Amino acid sequence: MATSLGAPRLSLSPKTLQALRRTLPLSFSKSLHSKPLLRPSISHSPILLRLPRRRRLSSRPSASAGNNSAAASSGGDNYDFDLFTIGAGSGGVRASRFAANFGASVAVCELPFATISSDSTGGVGGTCVLRGCVPKKLMVYASKFSHEFEESHGFGWSYETDPKHDWGTLIANKNAELQRLTGIYKNILKNAGVTLIEGRGKIIDPHTVSVDGKLYSARHILIAVGGRPNMPNIPGIEHAIDSDAALDLSVRPDKIAIVGGGYIAVEFAGIFNGLMSEVHVFIRQKKVLRGFDEEIRDFVGEQMSLRGIEFHTEESPQAITKSEDGSLSLKTNKGTVSGFSHIMFATGRRPNTKNLGLEDVGVKLTNNGAIMVDEYSRTSVESIWAVGDVTDRINLTPVALMEGGAFAKTVFANEPTKPDHREVPSAVFSQPPIGQVGLTEEQAIEEYGDVDVYTANFRPLKATVSGLPDRIYMKLLVCANSGKVLGVHMCGDDSPEIIQGVAIAVKAGLTKAQFDSTVGIHPTAAEELVTMRTPTRKIRRNSSSDEVSLFKRTYLLFLILTCWANVLIYILTQEKVKDAVKSTT
Amino acid sequence: MARKMLRDGETEAYDYDLFVIGAGSGGVRASRTSAGFGAKVAICELPFHPISSETIGGVGGTCVIRGCVPKKILVYGSAFRGEFEDARNFGWELSEDINFNWKKLLNNKTQEIQRLNGIYKRLLTNAGVTMIEGEGKLAGPHEVEVTQPDGSVQKYTAKHILIATGSRAQRVKIPGEELAITSDEALSLEELPKRAVILGGGYIAVEFASIWRGMGATVDLFYRKELPLRGFDDEMRAVVAKNLEGRGIELHPQSTLTELSKTDEGIKVVTDHGDVLVADVVLFATGRAPNTKRLNLAAAGVETDKTGAIKVDEYSCTNIPSIWAVGDVTNRMNLTPVALMEGTCFSKTVFGGEPTKPDYKDIPCAVFSIPPLSVVGLSEQQALEQATSDILVFTSSFTPMKNTISGRQEKTVMKLVVDSATDRVIGASMCGPDAPEIMQGIGVAMKCGATKKQFDSTVGIHPSAAEEFVTMRSVTRRLTVGSKI
Repeated sequence: MATSLGAPRLSLSPKTLQALRRTLPLSFSKSLHSKPLLRPSISHSPILLRLPRRRRLSSRPSASAGNNSAAASSGGDNYDFDLFTIGAGSGGVRASRFAANFGASVAVCELPFATISSDSTGGVGGTCVLRGCVPKKLMVYASKFSHEFEESHGFGWSYETDPKHDWGTLIANKNAELQRLTGIYKNILKNAGVTLIEGRGKIIDPHTVSVDGKLYSARHILIAVGGRPNMPNIPGIEHAIDSDAALDLSVRPDKIAIVGGGYIAVEFAGIFNGLMSEVHVFIRQKKVLRGFDEEIRDFVGEQMSLRGIEFHTEESPQAITKSEDGSLSLKTNKGTVSGFSHIMFATGRRPNTKNLGLEDVGVKLTNNGAIMVDEYSRTSVESIWAVGDVTDRINLTPVALMEGGAFAKTVFANEPTKPDHREVPSAVFSQPPIGQVGLTEEQAIEEYGDVDVYTANFRPLKATVSGLPDRIYMKLLVCANSGKVLGVHMCGDDSPEIIQGVAIAVKAGLTKAQFDSTVGIHPTAAEELVTMRTPTRKIRRNSSSDEVSLFKRTYLLFLILTCWANVLIYILTQEKVKDAVKSTT
Repeated sequence: MARKMLRDGETEAYDYDLFVIGAGSGGVRASRTSAGFGAKVAICELPFHPISSETIGGVGGTCVIRGCVPKKILVYGSAFRGEFEDARNFGWELSEDINFNWKKLLNNKTQEIQRLNGIYKRLLTNAGVTMIEGEGKLAGPHEVEVTQPDGSVQKYTAKHILIATGSRAQRVKIPGEELAITSDEALSLEELPKRAVILGGGYIAVEFASIWRGMGATVDLFYRKELPLRGFDDEMRAVVAKNLEGRGIELHPQSTLTELSKTDEGIKVVTDHGDVLVADVVLFATGRAPNTKRLNLAAAGVETDKTGAIKVDEYSCTNIPSIWAVGDVTNRMNLTPVALMEGTCFSKTVFGGEPTKPDYKDIPCAVFSIPPLSVVGLSEQQALEQATSDILVFTSSFTPMKNTISGRQEKTVMKLVVDSATDRVIGASMCGPDAPEIMQGIGVAMKCGATKKQFDSTVGIHPSAAEEFVTMRSVTRRLTVGSKI
């Protein structure tokens, strides 16, 4: 099998490509081993310039001239594949497809499909499609209807009987959609000419992967095995469920405890609350969503409480007990809450790096078990690369896609590309949802010192008629010196959709003046973002005016330094005194 | 600064530095910002009523009382029907008889509008603007005559006069036209129609078609062209037409109404194809005309164009140096945020010592049909007309995630138009849920000349519809300069 694996790819490639492989000098393939930056560009090769323009080239625009270096390389050595990818999630599928489009022969292995992941189950599509973004968003859609039913009353709608929810219908329809999507992903791979192998991949040496005992050699190996939910080891934890299970429950929870304050916890709180479970959220801190802008954290917590979610703050879980009637109790540092039908832990995710053979082959890991990579996603072993959650950089699907795309360009398109992790927008599909891009207020102040903060907190038009207490919060962070917009944060209806376009502007480095020069779309919530005229507050590093002269600044710095030096000297002398005291006593 | 300048100037000779006729979006904004610059400002407006006429209007103007705001409230109200349908496949069981109480919605809408009317009045009071109720007319280059509700006439002098009287819905001259209503009445009907006939293909027509359909009426929409929404991107017009049809609206392209008459069953409607329909309500959504007839423009010699709109220069100044005009009455781009921009620019120019031209480039706008359409920049057709280099068109048509479960057969369509020479995105459009909210940010990016490369370098927000705008990798078509679509 393995030796003939090159064939399907060739059959997909047009004849001209085959001819090209034969004509290209072998030396190009050798160069693949060297650092990406050093690889010679063949885009100016006279051979290529002489090639007649065939329809093929225009129909596959990504297969530009330089990309054929990888294809050429497969002829002259003994590897089964140019690329072997372990894991067919967002990052793995993207990297495999792109690499194949660039002419590489590619195989990808993935575990058999299951809605709940384990060491032996997974499925093409990965976390995002099967156990993350997609099923989560479908559940969010389902749960949001109950809020809409409430809203509709103010708009004149009424029902003879209150709407009821049938859990089974939702789960069945959701799973049918997931089956469809995993099929689509398989087709995408097939159409790209990628060989899909079902089974568990393990690295044997820098160029060999074993899938359930069968060996495959590859010039490059890409690890894209993602992450999995992580639960603390407390007594009774076997009674708890993680997010995988929470997306595929056979019955609606009557009363659920959600442990955790991250985005997964608040999203599920919204889902179960909307589908009419009683929801209790237990968080270690005072607020949800550590790492987000402080005011957004406050705002979303308030709005969720108004919709009926009960928060238990500064409580850490200690044990779970199951009573005779089957109900669960959660013991925390503050006491015990009983009567739960379900207890869900949303306490973080961990990279799937166990039993991959990484240690043996010398791939270095971080303390949390993530694979260490350089800016090009290369591991400590030259032929082994890693993208997505397994590297624990920014664990988002579009980031894994970006990393996968950049990897393929770097390795197979002769175009070394670093994924750009700056100003990555993201969303939390809580109810109401959050959208954000760039720095939080705290980060902006730390990095830039002088920051103008524009905020808006208003009742959207829909709420004025529905009569519900829904509000929208927006924040724009602007560098006081350059006028550059450093961060945009929003919580309220449609925030994720609204922030995407704004993110393009932030990424392009736009200024507040440019935001203001944009005409609003009326009446929308989003127009508020371009009509924030006066700063809510101006944060200045020092209380003196903005235009401190260079001399003054230097002088100030000098003062601060001498001050610190004095303090330091004082401390040191105190220590010495203490030591002296100690030694004498 | 401005205050000092005014104090030193000849203002003492006039009652006011600025007299504004019309307290709609443009007038209120100009008054407030001028007062902010230190000017002494008065504004006159007709008494409040949801339906406008020569003698009634209300502070807030068309947008707040008879346009954007009440329209959007009705769109929200009518969109619930689709939500109820969509909910079923997500597991929701709704009783068969869902009731819709039009009176309740109307009442809540009127309350909200009265609240906003009050807010606008307060905004003016807090800014120190003198409010005068009555109909304002020009009496000279520096003089306004206000006829108050009790019939008394008062004259005021002002250094500058700003006309911001907006526009009003027009009727078509056919037999029985008096039986038809305009959008003013449509927003405040006593009874919800069961059978509605709409004449017109503009945004008001398609919005009301969506509203009434969502509330359960049968809707027949008549328009002259092959597709509704002339002026928008042709491909997007087709998408809107398809969606309207998909939601159960009867489209009658290339046709018009020729006669209306009253019968016992309702209004008998005859079309130019000879078809006969009976309707409870016939809506004329056939354009709006500037409110200039009763302004006595001749008193000061202010010029208007053929449509009756006041002619202004780039700074919104009329041919009379002391008389200015902003908003729909100038018939430039008839949108609330544009009137706001014109009002602000006027104040900056006249009272802020900072001559400022309103910038009409890349103004985003939305049509609140269900689902909505939103665009910014050029349509594919406009791009090609203006092209000096090849135009790249990127399109994406996809089933929104919600519809994968709901089963609704409706696609979201997006389009980016890119100048191949500069890589700049010169046009963007979208038809689908949340389009207006999504396009605002795209509008910001385009306003400052974002390139396709900058779009592509932005990471998506997953899963959203908007992320499609940053993941359009391959060109759908390339249009060469001088070619025709």
